[in-house]
Amino acid sequence: MITVTDLSKKYGGTLVLQLPELNIPKGQRFGLVGNNGAGKTTFFSLILDLIESTSGRITINEIDVKSSEDWKPFTAAFIDESYLIGYLTVEEYYYFLGNLRGLSTKEIDTWVLNFESFFNGEILGKKKYLRDLSKGNQKKAGIVGSLIGSPDLVILDEPFANLDPSSQIRLKKLIENIAKNSEITFLISSHDLTHVTEVCDRIVLLENGTILKDIKTTSSTLKELESYFSLKE
Amino acid sequence: MASFSVIDSFKLSKKKFFRAPQWELKLAIRILIGFLVLYFLAAFLFLGIGIYFIVQKTVPDQNPVFFVNEFLIYYFGIELLIRYFVQNLPITDIKPLLVQPISKNKIVQGVMLRSLGSFFNWIPMVILVPFGIVYSLNEPTTYTLWIWVIGVLFISGINNFLVFFINKNRVVGLSVFLLLLAGSFFQHVLGIPLLSFFGKGFNYLYLHPISIVVPLALFFGIVCAQYFFLKKQLYLDKGFSEKKERIVGSDLKIFDRAGILGLFIKNDIRLILRNVRARQVVFVGFLFLFYGIIFFSQKVYLESYVMLIFAGVFTTGGFMLSFGQLVPAWDSEYYSFLMCQNIPYRKYLESKLYLMMFSVVISMVLSLPYLYFGLKIMTIIIACAIFNFGMGSFITLYSGAFNATPVKLNVKAKAFENTQNFSLTQLLFTLPKIVLPVLVFYVPFRFFGFSAGILGMILTGLLGLLFRGFLLRAIEKTYQKRKYKTLSSFKKT
Repeated sequence: MITVTDLSKKYGGTLVLQLPELNIPKGQRFGLVGNNGAGKTTFFSLILDLIESTSGRITINEIDVKSSEDWKPFTAAFIDESYLIGYLTVEEYYYFLGNLRGLSTKEIDTWVLNFESFFNGEILGKKKYLRDLSKGNQKKAGIVGSLIGSPDLVILDEPFANLDPSSQIRLKKLIENIAKNSEITFLISSHDLTHVTEVCDRIVLLENGTILKDIKTTSSTLKELESYFSLKE
Repeated sequence: MASFSVIDSFKLSKKKFFRAPQWELKLAIRILIGFLVLYFLAAFLFLGIGIYFIVQKTVPDQNPVFFVNEFLIYYFGIELLIRYFVQNLPITDIKPLLVQPISKNKIVQGVMLRSLGSFFNWIPMVILVPFGIVYSLNEPTTYTLWIWVIGVLFISGINNFLVFFINKNRVVGLSVFLLLLAGSFFQHVLGIPLLSFFGKGFNYLYLHPISIVVPLALFFGIVCAQYFFLKKQLYLDKGFSEKKERIVGSDLKIFDRAGILGLFIKNDIRLILRNVRARQVVFVGFLFLFYGIIFFSQKVYLESYVMLIFAGVFTTGGFMLSFGQLVPAWDSEYYSFLMCQNIPYRKYLESKLYLMMFSVVISMVLSLPYLYFGLKIMTIIIACAIFNFGMGSFITLYSGAFNATPVKLNVKAKAFENTQNFSLTQLLFTLPKIVLPVLVFYVPFRFFGFSAGILGMILTGLLGLLFRGFLLRAIEKTYQKRKYKTLSSFKKT
């Protein structure tokens, strides 16, 4: 799905990301962990062609993200609140996204019902602008928004942060369900090691812009990560 | 508790300024604006000095004070209106102070005192004090003159605090505007001197100095009212709570037929309806409609076509210029989101273009009353509209590619602080928007006369429409080339 070759990103003279090679196959749930400043968001921004790489290239389905925009129809992301349009209601936001991805308003109305338990009655039909929702509810709205129109690739930055405990568990189930029933590739970054190891089948640990660990998730992965991060103190 | 003083409150404002991103640039702009403010103050000062002599010359048998009084109601009305749109109490700045050991009295005093520093409070002072001095040098005067000056200054002070209460309610703001409009309609069109009553009231203040107790009482009344009101507001669930907004503009089904383009137009309409900053800009664009009155009603300008073209371009393109120069900054809050959606850049730009074009048509229709000034003026307005429609819109859209300063959508711009989107490139780009129409008029006009000049403008507009596809492609390329730069500057606030 995603192929990274010789990728690097420098700000001024400082190297913030260096990935000589990375392949993410289709259907993988790819987890990205690392302390602040490790390069997680930079990597996501590079994939989405929101910043320019200093060297190297990224392809999604063989499409070079820098020179073509053809990856956009099947790629979706929710990075932070700036991925919401604050002055729209949730429904209007979904219609906007859905219509862009070729769904009709009616199709969206029925599709959204799949997420009723995740929304917990706090999102739909509230007659509120997105900017007036709480941080947690904004996150829920955004995550579901990124799933509209069944994209092939979904990128989520810190999806568990700001969610209440029940919602975190529901989100895990949601992602697992989708992964079971489809071939969607997930890229998920998180500071919550427990959640990310439970949800993802592969974990990559970034530190100062380079890959320190690349693990296929097993029952011992969480311990391994925890011992790494506690040694850092 | 006593250690936090009003001075500390000012110090905090100072730090907020110097520690903001790009404060050097902001400082430079501030200095520039400082000069502008000085210029205005000087202009008002000269007005204050001059009023006496002007009145002496034009209406020698009227007391200049009474003459000034006739105008005060207009002044205060307009002042209140402008204050309504630009003046804001810096109440959110004080949120972090709430949990500090600072008495609430001090916090409120700081906020209220700072509001007195507003530019609007200086204007009546620099007009009336020199007027009083000139008057007393030329006429035998008693202390009553100065009582009058102080009384009027206090009325302006009342405005300063009144606007805070009006701000809470849009209906009140609108009714002030309508009342003033109705008043001048009665006065000038129907000949019922409603507004003159206010003039008589101000005369009374001059003739009977004891009546100064009225403005004084009102002033202290409103100060106290605001003081106690604000003190009660210092809770998270009161003054700082976000008001729940009513949803407006949800039914825009008519645009569904326009496909992707309709989607964007729907968003833009909602953007305008639902965000303070956007509404403010649209209102400014609306005010431009009246720009023509200044020029078309004066004999001096009727001689000079260049000024008339200026007026025509602004009258029909006010919204286009004020809204359009902030494309794509309007979408700055979620620009990275837009950039990774399944969106053809072209459609996005096209929707903005159509919105601008549409606004030109509306402005032109609303300008039809200018027919009152004659067919020639109307011809100029129509030619300017065609120019703006076909060419001005493209230039505005193109210049937007170079404007990478983000817009905070739901935050009011303040007077003389509307520098959020000031840049040298933007300044440069205003040139073609204003000079080009004058040029395409003036060159043919010089050689072949008025009709040729008008034809020049119309043809330029049509040319833009003819090469629409080409121009859009060029604009699209420019936007695409500047994408990363725009994205990174939109991230900084």
